[in-house]
Amino acid sequence: MLEHQLIQSTGFRNVGPVGARTGFAVRIRIPNYHGTRLCQLDGFTVTVDGEVFPFEQNSLGIRDEVYTLAELREETEARWGLTEWGEILVDKPGGLEPGVHKVEVLARIRYSYFPPDVHIFPMHEARMATICMP
Amino acid sequence: MGSLKYGVSVYSYVNDYASVMTLEDAFDHIADTGATGIEILGEGQIEGYPEPSSAFLDRWFGLVDRYKLEPTNMCGWIDTRITLARNITVEEGAAELAQDLKLAARLGFKFYRPKFGVTSHELDPDPQWEAYVERNLDLAHQLGVVICPEIHAPTPIRHRVTDGYIQFIERTGTRNFGLMIDTGIFQDRPLTHWGSHQINDEARKHMEFLNGIKVPPEQFLEIAQYVVFIQAKFHDIDDSLEDLNIPWRPVMSAILRSGYSGWLSSEYEGLRSPWRAIDQVRRQQVLLRKLEAEFDAGTLA
Repeated sequence: MLEHQLIQSTGFRNVGPVGARTGFAVRIRIPNYHGTRLCQLDGFTVTVDGEVFPFEQNSLGIRDEVYTLAELREETEARWGLTEWGEILVDKPGGLEPGVHKVEVLARIRYSYFPPDVHIFPMHEARMATICMP
Repeated sequence: MGSLKYGVSVYSYVNDYASVMTLEDAFDHIADTGATGIEILGEGQIEGYPEPSSAFLDRWFGLVDRYKLEPTNMCGWIDTRITLARNITVEEGAAELAQDLKLAARLGFKFYRPKFGVTSHELDPDPQWEAYVERNLDLAHQLGVVICPEIHAPTPIRHRVTDGYIQFIERTGTRNFGLMIDTGIFQDRPLTHWGSHQINDEARKHMEFLNGIKVPPEQFLEIAQYVVFIQAKFHDIDDSLEDLNIPWRPVMSAILRSGYSGWLSSEYEGLRSPWRAIDQVRRQQVLLRKLEAEFDAGTLA
């Protein structure tokens, strides 16, 4: 089962080779009340301790695939269900220090049933989360 | 004994669902309220949507059987703006709708709520909706499913969107398309929470257009003949069984006087704090049944 909030505790971790980390991952549940095609998501901005990592540069990992923003926008077949988690992959050479960090996620969800000019809906959540391994 | 049928939408438990609640838990919570119907989000509760495995189907029918709940309505979405670069064609939209209708019927649902894309701030549906639906009326008839788009805040009853759906019913003479009413349109006092967030002054300004559009409950009578399903939207019922946002006395009075005898499906959309929805749904089920009993006894105005 997932945690109740958007940003999950487990899965907040450094990625890349130990000693030469390339970035970090933030595990989230779907930022929506129902499952969707991946193309209905328009990226995720991540902020850690005030440092902003804009959505254009972050990727989404789900199941065994990783999608850049451009790939996500065109993915009309693969879907994300309510019971699954995905992870936002952020480039940051060296990764994050082990310890407690303030993590914010701004997920951009598209709703066709919202007026066209405001159909990309920003969903924001923040929490304290812990990096365990350097 | 009253004429209404009571159900619960699993949407009531969103956020709890898949974190502190399984599908079976949802069946248990719903059945224990005395409700006899279950409403779901298609791409939500159906694992492997849009092509669930036979293992899921077995589990679904096992739960329906064990908890004695009748599948009522399945909600779906037509992704009109499929990508940032293009909208779907009529053929694609009709195919989406056909796929969901077949799935709904397969799971035993009698109603299907499509959410069409919109083209304006007045929430006019993309004009293609009419073609999606018309191409599927025969299929819906064969499957025994009624397609019902919802009249939902900020769209009131007296509005061209509602009129457009009614004109379609009149023009085609179909019995497989009708209106779903979301009782959030009757909200006459503002919300204090939206999702898991408290509504501060700034948020209140942004959501003013939909934070209580105060449709007079009497207007339900004007369109009742076209209404096939009611989502009993609510947000907060206190310890004295008073709803803080929806005026249930006049709403239930209008619904009952209209002769409506379909489903009232609880749809909690209040504070998303873990497990809160479970008891809120129980409260609403009691409140609605009490009002129906008062109506039957002649004491509800």
